Amino acid sequence: MLVYVINRILQLIPVVFVLSVLVFGFVHALPGDVIDSLAGQEAAEDPEVRAALEEEFGLNRPIYVQYAVWLGNVLQGDFGHSLVTRRPVSQELFERIPATVYLAVVGIGLSILIAVPLGTIAAVRRNTPTDYVAQVSSLIGISIPEFWFAILCIMLFSLHLGWLPSSGYVSPFTDFGASVTYLVLPALAIGFRQAAFTTRLTRSSMLDEINKDYVNTGRSLGLSERKVIYKYTLRNALIPTVTISGLQLANLLGGTVVLESIFSWPGIGLTIFQAIQLRDFPMIQAGVLVLGVMVVLINLAVDILYRVLNPRVGMA
Amino acid sequence: MPDGKATTMERQLRSRQRVDAVDPNDTPLKIRVRRISAGTRTGLQELSKSRTATVGGIMIVFLFIVCLLTPVLATHDPIKPDYRDRLAPMSSEHYFGTDKFGRDIYSRVLYGGQRTIAMSVAAVIFGLSLGIPFGILAGYFGGRVDGLAMRFVDGLLAFPGLLLYLLIVTLAREWKLEGFWNDAILVFALGFAFMPEVARLARGTALVEARKEYVEASKVVGEGSFSVAMRQILPNCVSPLIVNSTVRLGYMILIIAALSFLGLGTPPPTPDWGADLSVARDHMQTHPMIAVFPGLAICFAVLAFNLFGDGLRDVLDPRLADR
Amino acid sequence: MSDAPVRKGFNQTRRQFMATTAGAAGLGAIGLPRLSKAAPKRGGTLRFGTRVDSTALDPHRNLVYYISTPLAATTQGLLDLDLDMNIVPGVAEEWDISDDLMVYTFRLRKGVEYHNGRDVDAESVKWNFERILDPKTSHAFTRASLEDVDEIIVDDKHTLRIRLKEPSAVFAANVVYYPCNLMAPDSVDQVDTHPIGCGPFKFVSWNRYAKTELVRFENYFETDEHGNQLPYLDAIEGYPKREDQVRLTSLRTGELDLIDNMAFNDVRPFRESYGEAFDIFEAPHIGSGHLNINVKSGPFAMDAPDGKLLRHAIAHAIDREAIHHAVFEELGYPLNGYYSEASPWHMPGIRNVKEYDPEKSRSILRKLNMENMPIAVVARQSFQYMSQTAELVHAMLLDAGFNATNEVFDNPVLRQKYAKDDWGIDSTATSYRFEPDGWYSRWILSSAAENQLRLGYKNEQVDKLILEARQTLDKEKRIELYTEVESLVNEDAALIYTHAVPMTSAGTNRLKGYRPAFAGAFSTAGGGIRTAYFEEA
Repeated sequence: MLVYVINRILQLIPVVFVLSVLVFGFVHALPGDVIDSLAGQEAAEDPEVRAALEEEFGLNRPIYVQYAVWLGNVLQGDFGHSLVTRRPVSQELFERIPATVYLAVVGIGLSILIAVPLGTIAAVRRNTPTDYVAQVSSLIGISIPEFWFAILCIMLFSLHLGWLPSSGYVSPFTDFGASVTYLVLPALAIGFRQAAFTTRLTRSSMLDEINKDYVNTGRSLGLSERKVIYKYTLRNALIPTVTISGLQLANLLGGTVVLESIFSWPGIGLTIFQAIQLRDFPMIQAGVLVLGVMVVLINLAVDILYRVLNPRVGMA
Repeated sequence: MPDGKATTMERQLRSRQRVDAVDPNDTPLKIRVRRISAGTRTGLQELSKSRTATVGGIMIVFLFIVCLLTPVLATHDPIKPDYRDRLAPMSSEHYFGTDKFGRDIYSRVLYGGQRTIAMSVAAVIFGLSLGIPFGILAGYFGGRVDGLAMRFVDGLLAFPGLLLYLLIVTLAREWKLEGFWNDAILVFALGFAFMPEVARLARGTALVEARKEYVEASKVVGEGSFSVAMRQILPNCVSPLIVNSTVRLGYMILIIAALSFLGLGTPPPTPDWGADLSVARDHMQTHPMIAVFPGLAICFAVLAFNLFGDGLRDVLDPRLADR
Repeated sequence: MSDAPVRKGFNQTRRQFMATTAGAAGLGAIGLPRLSKAAPKRGGTLRFGTRVDSTALDPHRNLVYYISTPLAATTQGLLDLDLDMNIVPGVAEEWDISDDLMVYTFRLRKGVEYHNGRDVDAESVKWNFERILDPKTSHAFTRASLEDVDEIIVDDKHTLRIRLKEPSAVFAANVVYYPCNLMAPDSVDQVDTHPIGCGPFKFVSWNRYAKTELVRFENYFETDEHGNQLPYLDAIEGYPKREDQVRLTSLRTGELDLIDNMAFNDVRPFRESYGEAFDIFEAPHIGSGHLNINVKSGPFAMDAPDGKLLRHAIAHAIDREAIHHAVFEELGYPLNGYYSEASPWHMPGIRNVKEYDPEKSRSILRKLNMENMPIAVVARQSFQYMSQTAELVHAMLLDAGFNATNEVFDNPVLRQKYAKDDWGIDSTATSYRFEPDGWYSRWILSSAAENQLRLGYKNEQVDKLILEARQTLDKEKRIELYTEVESLVNEDAALIYTHAVPMTSAGTNRLKGYRPAFAGAFSTAGGGIRTAYFEEA
């Protein structure tokens, strides 16, 4: 197992390297003149000012040198300064990423809470109207454009029912209670959506389990149907559910841009999106790279977890 | 979009399950036989057994018919504004009412659908045409080529959620030209971002198939390696790709909508479901009806592709079908 | 001035501005006694929802958005603007202009402090201006406001002289709050983390995209007419909420007290349905929308053989009424010059306005045998009214026989398009030009940077008139000169004025005394946030 894990981690190195090249390449290919964005047209046309700014940000060197310098700095933990706020990028990341992780984790948690009962019921009552209702309703979650669903949620829960604040963010460390009230709506929007897959996955893995021999054995031994299903089947069937949720979580790290924008959630997705608009190169590079590394690591963790939960999978 | 990738992963998980969760009596031969027999039965017959596929299929056929008949069905020029008749309610003149600029929403939904679906289909095809050769060749050649190609794909897959789309679409704007090319670039961006998943799926199949005798045999006969790879291996990865692409068609529509929301989608005044819905949100508290029809259209189309994709999966992947 | 007319909306506001133009002398007195009957109460925290968040903290480098986010309340310029666009004393109590219009002498108010207790003295103002003039530390837009400065001389602690490169009667307008802000010189090290200004509120914290916190500056110099120190509010919390509908919802649910940038289409229905509990504030004209035509190169160029005729064909295709209805929801005014009738600089005598007549456009194109000539309409995506105007203009041009296309770009790409002359018509707008020279000299003058980059317009007669106006002190005379300028601009049709951009905001009716004006929500002498207070609950 340990060898496997070490091996897998070593395999990540080239992936992260490729990722860094891609990020750097994309960002530097973005249209728009950095100097112009930084200092305005006049300055951009003034060769002296341009030279000074290019020097300051290292833009006058060949692209591969810029890349090497950037990568070298990153490896030392220095992501540079935001061109816009002039604050250290690492500080911005440190402030933004936790907000997104908080939202994504709770969102995924909610999706499991919705999906597992729904998927189980659908499987147990397969090919009955209950099953169809569960299947179709889980599909509706992914059929509605996200921003539209979010705005409808705000209209309903905040404006008409008055149960929850419409938007905003409070850190759980400052005021946990308030933080949760702000969290509910965006997390619900995520949960409802992600539950669509998880429901269908839970249903099919439940079906797989229900048809296995041990279930019939259990039944023939006189165990109640309820006990067989909820005690043995569900536990096995949840393995893929848990792992898929992990993968969804990884993907959500950059997938909450729209919701963050609607709910005024100061997360990393919104920050990177704005940085793209402002051509804040160090911020985009660092943001995407760090998120990418997190994705790769979560995927690895999910793989390992899957093997731990499911020892039949070989270590190859 | 988280959704598309999750499906791939979901599939991968399932295929893992399929390999490892077989009961002891199930020999590889049996599995093989089952798969082949599934393939030989006529697809339609099989599909019609799946209720989800039937419903989804009917919905898709309906969508395509409406798209084809759009010029006949539409009652107004979808981009001609008339500010004297703006925000009109539903009437016999304007079946779905008019929008902020007094354009006929019914006609816009029709033309928007034509465009949205054409774009999604084109993007999926583009993604497939990039990803399939990429993945198959990587799997076929194996070794260092494969390693390099897959690191590239892994690198792309590590861009979480919408970020890859955001970067590519912003990037593509520099070359943005008029009319057709404008759409082509959005298609390019959407398709390119779909490519890594396709490549991975195709490569998985290719890796297995390339080691089989029949492929080895055709190599000996002296066929060019590219044509061998494509002709021999491609048919074997068709079924997962079809399922994936069908579901993907639905996500493409949602991605276009999300990009429109972020200001990176179709520029006005071209009718487009996502863009129209995005604009309609400004009228949420005063004229909610403007949003209803493009919104419903999106839901309908995405639901159709998802239902059909689900049904297809059950048919092409019999182990998961209801028993 | 009473707060009632401004709040109650469009018609009253309009009347108020008519009154303004009618007699500037009477202005100071209007409404003052009425205000006194309900004495403003000190205290309270204002929760303010804005569409945009500050991009950064440095007041000299931060861009345009410094006026639309609460951070603007942390600083101000040497002079102030009042509710009617007049330049009035602020940090500088008085100023005079030498007879040759070359030297401005500012006498600073004594006892004005930065938030760290340092005096706002002449030396510190000089330091600020020098920092603004340094391209490495300032933004081009800020820098441009001081581009005429030749020398900054400190006479004594409270006297500052500025020598200009060329005579100007309008320089005072360049040292008001926007964009020429003052910060404490000894705080330069913390300018990106905790800026120290001299405005009515002190910076506390800024959590980007989430929250800005400010508290009342206890030593702020301005007082109301009873001698009570301003501001009345204890604190401001700023919440950036990008979505117009979400911001409005937050106001309706009581999470916010005040929101900016209310969607134009929400104004009327909201007032009808919820006018009892909420007030809607309109400043009918903070900016002006215009269509720029690429006259640098291509078929519409100033020197192209049929350029002018083709531009007239464009001008005749533009239906301002449609824009008035569909984009601005009947708020504000259609324009045929930069200043609308809501402005003290309104010019009723403007000539050569090309009326809406698409048939005329078509006949011009037919005559030139240029039917279906291609033209690319572009707009910036960040402002909806710009892209929506572009959308309509696109339809109008199609109707008039052009083969028009429509594209929306983000700012960096658009600037690249300008640099490469790769565009036809640009639907854009400019705002906060309370001093007309700030518009004509920075946009219409052939040597103006924006003109050279984006427009390429050159008319020697126009240049001469603008420079003459710049050296004219008399307002009536200047209005005459600018009327000539606008008439020539309309005839050349390189730039077509479309519509005044109103500023709309809404707040709970517990909030009193808030009077936004041209200068925006924050820095208005005797108005804006400074005079806002909460009614006793």
